[in-house]
Amino acid sequence: MAPKASPKSKAAAAKKAALKGVHGKSVRKVRTSTHFHLPKTLRLSRKPKYARKSVPHLPRMDQYRVVRNPLNSETAMKKIEEHNTLTFIVDVKANKHQIKDAVKRLYDVEALKVNTLIRPDGKKKAYVRLTADVDALDVANKIGLI
Amino acid sequence: MNVLLAAVKAYELRNKNKAELLKTLDEQKQELASLRVQKVAGGSASKLHQIGLARKNIARTLTVINQTQREQLRLFYQKKKYIPLDLRVKKTRAMRRALTPFERSLKTQKEQKKLNHFPLRKYAVKA
Repeated sequence: MAPKASPKSKAAAAKKAALKGVHGKSVRKVRTSTHFHLPKTLRLSRKPKYARKSVPHLPRMDQYRVVRNPLNSETAMKKIEEHNTLTFIVDVKANKHQIKDAVKRLYDVEALKVNTLIRPDGKKKAYVRLTADVDALDVANKIGLI
Repeated sequence: MNVLLAAVKAYELRNKNKAELLKTLDEQKQELASLRVQKVAGGSASKLHQIGLARKNIARTLTVINQTQREQLRLFYQKKKYIPLDLRVKKTRAMRRALTPFERSLKTQKEQKKLNHFPLRKYAVKA
């Protein structure tokens, strides 16, 4: 680059650029590692033109679906009196978190822990141990179990 | 114990708005839950009969909820270009991918010329 670009040299540079194009000098990228890693590319977020499902479904596993009915067999009654636990037949697809939450919504009681098993007839039984400040017998009376 | 269950009528449900319908649904589910408890605790035969009614009431409420919801959505999407897939016409997969009546009616220039030059002629027999 001449410090003062005379009109003649400017014209000559313009002619060269027009003929040969401007990308003459190629520069090699400096690679500081021997490994080639995936380059970071543009990631666009979704902007759907329409919702695939018109309206999201109502919650399928609500508390009424999770807890089917309480049990009042002899062993269940024993558990109520001695261990402060209620026994429920529960939906097979319900997990312990859902059971705990459902019992809270339905009967307004906190569960200390939930143990589950699947009976031989295919139904799920849940032993719900209540916190010490609640009496399982009272709750059973309130539900209408006794 | 409880009042005997009455079959809820769908046309009465349609007058309610969405919040009321959801509340009604919740109440009906609670009814069903209490009936199930009574079944376990040795309910009378009439109580057990109510269980079937309660289930159908819940079904009716859900039907009304979903029907009115979809109807409103169809109105909303009427003028729009893209509509959700579950509101589109269902028919069959093949029929959805078939040529539209307009696409079927298209003719090549060659065919068009033939039709123009050699249209169907009408004859009459002189009596």
